[in-house]
Amino acid sequence: MNTGVLTYESIKEWKEQNISTFKNDLIGLNSFHDQIMRKVLKVAIEKLNKGEPPCDFSWFVTGSGGRFEQGFISDQDHGMIYMEDSEECHLYFKALGEELADGLAFVGYPYCKGYIMSSNPLWCKSFQGWKEQLLAWMESESWGAIRYLQIFYDARVIEGEEPYIKQLKTVIYDYQLEHPKLLKRFLANIMHIKNIIGPLGQILVERYGTYQGCIDLKYSAFVPYVNAIRILAIKEGIYETSTLARISQLTQQKEYGQLLQNCEQNFELLLKYRLSLYKVNDYSDTHYLRIAGLEKEKKKQIKQILKTGVRIHDEVIELIEKGC
Amino acid sequence: MDATYLMNSLWTMVAAVLVILMIGGFILLEAGSTRMKNAGHVAGKTIFTFGLASLVFWALGYGLIFGGNANFFTGMTDFLYSGDQVKDAGLATTVFFVFQLAFAAISITIALGGFAERAKFSAYVVFTILFGILVYPVIAHWIWGGGWLAEHGKQDFAGSTVVHLTGAMAALAATIVLKPRIGKFNKDGSSNNIAGHNQVYTALAVLLLWVGWFGFNAGSTVSVEDGFFGFVALNTNLAAAAGAVAATLISWIVLGKPDIPTLLNGALAGLVAITASCAFVDVWASVVIGFIAGILTFYSARFLESRKIDDPIFAVSVHGIPGMWGTLSTGFFATKELATVGKPGLFYGGGLHQLGVQFTGVLVSGLYAFIISFLILWVMKKVMGGIRVTEEEEIMGLDISEHGSYGYPEQMVTQQKDTNVTASKTHVSS
Repeated sequence: MNTGVLTYESIKEWKEQNISTFKNDLIGLNSFHDQIMRKVLKVAIEKLNKGEPPCDFSWFVTGSGGRFEQGFISDQDHGMIYMEDSEECHLYFKALGEELADGLAFVGYPYCKGYIMSSNPLWCKSFQGWKEQLLAWMESESWGAIRYLQIFYDARVIEGEEPYIKQLKTVIYDYQLEHPKLLKRFLANIMHIKNIIGPLGQILVERYGTYQGCIDLKYSAFVPYVNAIRILAIKEGIYETSTLARISQLTQQKEYGQLLQNCEQNFELLLKYRLSLYKVNDYSDTHYLRIAGLEKEKKKQIKQILKTGVRIHDEVIELIEKGC
Repeated sequence: MDATYLMNSLWTMVAAVLVILMIGGFILLEAGSTRMKNAGHVAGKTIFTFGLASLVFWALGYGLIFGGNANFFTGMTDFLYSGDQVKDAGLATTVFFVFQLAFAAISITIALGGFAERAKFSAYVVFTILFGILVYPVIAHWIWGGGWLAEHGKQDFAGSTVVHLTGAMAALAATIVLKPRIGKFNKDGSSNNIAGHNQVYTALAVLLLWVGWFGFNAGSTVSVEDGFFGFVALNTNLAAAAGAVAATLISWIVLGKPDIPTLLNGALAGLVAITASCAFVDVWASVVIGFIAGILTFYSARFLESRKIDDPIFAVSVHGIPGMWGTLSTGFFATKELATVGKPGLFYGGGLHQLGVQFTGVLVSGLYAFIISFLILWVMKKVMGGIRVTEEEEIMGLDISEHGSYGYPEQMVTQQKDTNVTASKTHVSS
């Protein structure tokens, strides 16, 4: 029942009623997710009952949400940057982060298994704290820290001050200019991709289980594109988060013309394929595309998408390894 | 006493021990390829059935295979073998008996692989007895006991057909009658991989079997004459090697990754295939025979799965299809010099004759083993009120349901506790 008062319940209801209208519209769907999250923030601040935020802040999403590539359902991935490095702010935003994670979970975004949520102190920091943390991550070069840095690079502001993220990403950009080894280190987390094209050029489908005969679009197709393009974006200091926007920025630079040939069309097609997999009332099968029943033409197209992904992934690795 | 007689006896006794140690290989193979909850059962029942099969072989099997007064199916003397020596034999008859007993035991062990993870213990008991009387001795008599296939010139040096194909056909019948394990196939027609719990066991099993196979094949010379057993051993090793390499390559090419279970099966398939032909073919041919067997086992496992036949420890795709191929292979590769039984193969000027003999042998033996095993199991199912454990027992595992104790007590008892906790929680919340 809509009483006009904004609550988690009413947001959830609104989400469920309207989400199916974005069946064929990825941009619309992602903007819709943004709207929901903003509403959740509003309710969270009210529920917290500690008044308005004590200083300027920036609430960001990362992961597929950050890249504007979110499907109908996905885990929450978000973090918080606040300007003042004071005890009052620490306490306020920590409590707000926790409320946000619970609120999002209520509305239908499952908790992030990797704890990339504003409720986690690692992902809820003052601007200064973030700066120090990013530097520490870059210096430590541990596998986990490198992973966090790449996740952070996909961050996009949902609500609050826009420039913070950009300034923090500049910290990464500047550091890697001075320490070219860092980019090589970034490769460590993205070297492995699921083997999807066999030696005879065949598509390697799932052998067992409910998805027998399918391919996992997320790991086999998206991951090579997204990871390779992200590394180039870090290298070139591109602040855009969506993979398509990154590609179009990169292709403006001559040196990537050859490398990124067919990349944009293929990635767009891939997004369309993935969206076509969603069934309105069943959110589970979202990443698996059945290959067996596919028309010949489509099979060919998929193969082309997969092959291009693997090629770009391999060539970017080679480029980074050579260039540093 | 004649030194050759003693040497032959000693060599064959060593070989018999090697073959009996293969039972250990099968314990590890089957336990490693199945789940923890059935490990104790698998290990225990394999020792038990070896014991039972030994008694059946002593009481009836040996006489049915090698006894006198033979009818079309079996011999009819020498039951309850007393240890008598046959006059003028090249080795001690007692040693020959133990060696043959080991072969019979291997065949039933292969057959019981088709029962894995879901048959009642009592089904193992009854089938071991009936297989040891009605199935194995008939085929062994036909080919090795002077029966019609022996007269026909069938080449099966150490038992690709007699031991492996016979066992595999019984396993096929069993897995069809028992139906797939719970959770193997989904309603939508897709299948699941029920992964074995220990690949290290499986790999050690393959090594143990590989070594044991020197007893199986080279020992089947039952003689040290001319050191011919060395040639047989050489062919045996190369076929196993080629099988392992071929299976690795084909899985790498088709699946994109070298698949460990396939690789291990490839070595075994090479061994199964060379079992018939090891004494009749040139060294290079044994490489070809093993290589083809490695490819065949990969595709036959996939074929069976696509037909919704659950072959839990690959009895059919490792012992069945490669057993057929190995027997047929002498029809192509048997050389003039080595074909002491039958005739040379197609590639050595023998024309299609030997291939025809081999084909007939495989067809008749395979069909006989399958049909009789199927009938035995079907009757057992009717008479024993089913030969499969209940769904609940299958889920809790045969260790506890059939024997009352676990092969891995620490792990399984903890798991059981967790299940109970979950169950009680479910009850509370519902």
